[in-house]
Amino acid sequence: MIIPMRKMRLIIFQNDEKTVLEALQKTGEFMPIESKETAADTSLKSNAVSRSDELQRTHQMLKLSNQYHKKYYHHFLEQQPEISYETFLKENLKGKEICKKFQLYDNQLKALDTDIGQCSKEIETLQPWEKLDIPLNQLKQDQYVSVTAGMISEVFEQDLKRIGEETGAEIHTYGKVKKNLCFLIIQTNKEMPDLTSRLKKLEFSNVNLPSYPCTAAQKLKDLKEKISHNEQKKIEIDQCIRELSQDEKDLKLLAEQYETKQEIENIKFQETNETILIQGWVCKDRINLLKEVVHDTVQYYDLEFIKPSKSDFPPTVTRNPYFWAQFETITDMYSKPNPSEIDPALVAGPWYWVIFGMMMGDVGYGICMLLIFYFFRKVKKPKGNAKKLINTLFYSSFTTIIFGVLFGSYFGETWHPILFAPLTNPLKMLYFTLVVGILHIFSGMAIKIVENVKEGHFWDAIFDQVSWMLLISGLGLLFLPSARFIGKLLAILGAVIILCTAGRENKKLSKKIVGGLLGLYNISSYLSDILSYSRILALSLATGVIGMVMNLLARMVAVNIGGMIIALVIYIIGHSFNLAMSLLSAYVHDSRLQYIEFFNKFYEGGGKPFKPLSIQSNHVDVKIDKNN
Amino acid sequence: MTQGIIIAAFGAAICALLSGIGSAVGVQIAGQAAAGVTSDQPDLFGKVLVLQALPGTQGIYGFLLAVLILVQTGLISGNPHSITVMQGWAYFASALPIAIVGLLSGIAQGKTAAAAIHMTGKDPDSSAKGITMTALVETYAILALLASILILFSI
Repeated sequence: MIIPMRKMRLIIFQNDEKTVLEALQKTGEFMPIESKETAADTSLKSNAVSRSDELQRTHQMLKLSNQYHKKYYHHFLEQQPEISYETFLKENLKGKEICKKFQLYDNQLKALDTDIGQCSKEIETLQPWEKLDIPLNQLKQDQYVSVTAGMISEVFEQDLKRIGEETGAEIHTYGKVKKNLCFLIIQTNKEMPDLTSRLKKLEFSNVNLPSYPCTAAQKLKDLKEKISHNEQKKIEIDQCIRELSQDEKDLKLLAEQYETKQEIENIKFQETNETILIQGWVCKDRINLLKEVVHDTVQYYDLEFIKPSKSDFPPTVTRNPYFWAQFETITDMYSKPNPSEIDPALVAGPWYWVIFGMMMGDVGYGICMLLIFYFFRKVKKPKGNAKKLINTLFYSSFTTIIFGVLFGSYFGETWHPILFAPLTNPLKMLYFTLVVGILHIFSGMAIKIVENVKEGHFWDAIFDQVSWMLLISGLGLLFLPSARFIGKLLAILGAVIILCTAGRENKKLSKKIVGGLLGLYNISSYLSDILSYSRILALSLATGVIGMVMNLLARMVAVNIGGMIIALVIYIIGHSFNLAMSLLSAYVHDSRLQYIEFFNKFYEGGGKPFKPLSIQSNHVDVKIDKNN
Repeated sequence: MTQGIIIAAFGAAICALLSGIGSAVGVQIAGQAAAGVTSDQPDLFGKVLVLQALPGTQGIYGFLLAVLILVQTGLISGNPHSITVMQGWAYFASALPIAIVGLLSGIAQGKTAAAAIHMTGKDPDSSAKGITMTALVETYAILALLASILILFSI
């Protein structure tokens, strides 16, 4: 059922804004409407900017902590901590401190990494000169002699020697870097230009050695020591972070506290110098609660609840009995109902439930689903849409078992079917699915009839829905020999109504006739919709046959004890795979039958979701004391 | 082993073969898109995985029909029925719809799935719409499977 909405208008003094919004946030029943006039003013309040910085930082640190917190198995079984609302509001000093520590460690790690990077770069330059036994700062030009360090490709080694002999220069070769020979030339200043020009032809390149007061070997040793020292430090910090990430919960709490505060700070309302106008949507049946909350928090206020006008587009809130509410997740994924139509969940839910069971249709798989989703619900305690989806699948395990018994399917084995086995009797199954399809489509059209009648379009309901129902059921009855006459009658009656009325919106007579003929052409779309339900047969056969093949394979190898073990492995893996694939197919195709075949008969959708101010709690359960 | 049985066996082979290729290519196309989206947004792994798995069903349908042919001809139990050449060709014919439609629709669905995965990457909430769009392609593979099954069971 769709709950009617009311627009809340509250005028208070600006000083009270924060307390009132916090109180509204606590109720989780108020969805603010942001003022359009001030929305143009994009400059955020200064505290909102710093808040988003803080939040961003906390999220970064959470990410860092996550890298160290790789205990998935443990994580999966972990339950969310519960805290009271009062604690949630308090300043989270521990979280802030942890965040600061994380940041400190993070910065230290980064600094160490840069240092290590610089050291290894220097090692690379110095490595070939390791055997040079003169302190590096003594290699310089003096009055008579110049000392030059350089590199040359190793293919020119002989040429280098020759040049050295020819010019009388002293050349010492050292190590090699990437096929380049490193060497030192000592030559008198006078003859140096001649030597360099000859060397240039061999693609000689100068090397500027850093001037350390020690030899290259010594410096290398120092650098290596420094790196290993840094690595050691990194390990220590790693250990610290690992220890700190045990307290990740506080960091998560901090992030959620920031998010909760940010939500309030980011909304803008219309203001005067002294007062502020808070507008928002609330459910009609929650008006009294909100009145109380406002009354308790502020002294001076003006509060009214207005019925939405035609230009307003209130959000949609649906409230259904628990079983039906779980299937809302399927409808919501298509689109929320818009505020002026009937909530489809009441009809779509049970159909989804039944069709899912038909598609799976196996007792064994049904029991597996029952156990898996039951324990998943118990252990993980999912929230929101995830919870609804899990519940949907959990409920569908019951229909899966029921249809499994009807079709006599037990882990792919056929055993005493009550109705018939789809594997040996696919035609019967086909007729069965088509009848289900017709009923499904008719129930959608019935909703449209109700909507039409409610809006006062009684004749539209007769012309557009009842006529088609007559025609389709008439055509269906033609297949039954005993009801063939009635079938003919109904089909002709339906066809005549459509022929005469489908073009009624056109003014000219000729167009009316063409419209009628075109209207009758719609039979093809109805037929394809109905035929589409044969996918139930295809999916139920797919589940059954693959299960059967797995049994067959297992039986083939189970000839001795070793074979039995392999057979067991095949059995378990094969059936798990089949269960997973069948679940996916059933979920997708059952949804599709709702969205395409069922919804297009009556459903418009396009509703906005109701997003009230609420406490952001993805990682912690915040317990709100209702009496408080 | 009669000539009819051989032809029927070819039929079983060809429907598993072609529709398997179709699904493999389809899943591959979708998988490339899924890997791209996941590298950017690792949280969407679950959502894009569902979309990537969708073109995989054609292969299952082809395999399903192959097994059904093997059951109907008695090949799977090791003592095949005596089947005439004409009957053999009829079994072969029953394999054709899902073999050919499975091959082409698997690839086509893979492309649609890839587009839906990109859409999910941009707007994670629209993944259900993407699933519906991708499932629309599969309708024709299902109809082909239905045709195959109807032919098979009317032999």
